[in-house]
Amino acid sequence: MADRGFTKAGRSGAVFFLVLAILPWIAHGGTIHPPEIHSLSGLIERFDSSGCRECHEAIYRQWESSHHARPLMGLNDWIFLSKYLKEGALAVRSAREATRANFPCAKCHLPQLSLATDEAVKELAAAILKDDKETVRKLGITCLVCHQEKANVHHRPETDALYGSRELRDHGGKYSTVRQSPVMKDPVFCGQCHGQGPNLDTFPPVQCATLYGSYLHAYIPAGGTQTCQDCHMPHKDHSVRPNFNDRDETSARLAAALPMEVQVLAYTFHPAENVKTPMIVVRTRITSKAGHRVPDG
Amino acid sequence: MAAHAQTQEAFFEARKIYMPQSTDGLGSTMVLGPDTKLGLIRDTSIQPFGSREEVFEIPVPAEGGEVSVHVDLSYQPRPGDVIPVHSVVRKVALR
Repeated sequence: MADRGFTKAGRSGAVFFLVLAILPWIAHGGTIHPPEIHSLSGLIERFDSSGCRECHEAIYRQWESSHHARPLMGLNDWIFLSKYLKEGALAVRSAREATRANFPCAKCHLPQLSLATDEAVKELAAAILKDDKETVRKLGITCLVCHQEKANVHHRPETDALYGSRELRDHGGKYSTVRQSPVMKDPVFCGQCHGQGPNLDTFPPVQCATLYGSYLHAYIPAGGTQTCQDCHMPHKDHSVRPNFNDRDETSARLAAALPMEVQVLAYTFHPAENVKTPMIVVRTRITSKAGHRVPDG
Repeated sequence: MAAHAQTQEAFFEARKIYMPQSTDGLGSTMVLGPDTKLGLIRDTSIQPFGSREEVFEIPVPAEGGEVSVHVDLSYQPRPGDVIPVHSVVRKVALR
């Protein structure tokens, strides 16, 4: 009997222990993944993808022209996060106060920041508050972000392999193995960052992009069949247009996506005796060919 | 959208804004900025496979004559930063 009592207590203790172990497992999105990069330079180095250029020159140049290469630099090369670090719910009095909690925007604008400790985050905050563009420009959605860190949504990717649209056993270089990403051609791959609306998993919550949500809940129900990649990466074009810094190109792309008709009628409206109103009637109709709402936000 | 008389003076102007509109979840006032927006209270943006149609009825000044109608569609990602998309001019006159 005493033996049974001990066993019951031991079993209860074991269950309690397992619950404790599972909780941090859940909190880190399915795997124990504590922040491991302690400096901003370390973060830049870890995700530096300049080595890819040697063999993937064309793709690398396309990427360099895209907003993925400059996710922390807003339109026309300004550090947009400085506004939010200086005023509002995410503001800090000094860089020393900054933690990852001050960077909910990094979920999409710098996903690799999830691997950085608060020590590295403080360095990032300092660079932003000093308007250190040279440093901030080095932080991007590099090849290793899409082809490794964000390559799989069903489990954490391996950090000693790359991921692509097909498997490759002898890739060469630092990463000899390329595994096939099952989601890379699926819109959910882009949806990891390109927004469904409110991000309620941070305090305070933030809402920036809603493109993927609009794609899911407006484009697909209306019968749309194309993927994000079909329109924004035709033939694997890594420039991922639009480039909002190229105003002429942006204008042309929007004009193609939103054709506009204008009809004008000039006549005299005469609804009753002694009532004549010369008037012009202008009718405009803008139609969308896009796979999501335009504009977004 | 604007209508101009022969003197080039605009006698009618109207503007429509197409954009998703959010509050901060704490009231009914629209807010701006990713650090305050939550959800949507109204959405006038142009939806996939959708369209936005507007009709402007413009009384013409007594002097009449030829009128030029200017219809411009532009994209404004940030205040003051205007990227033109469409610009249409039509000239009409009452017969």
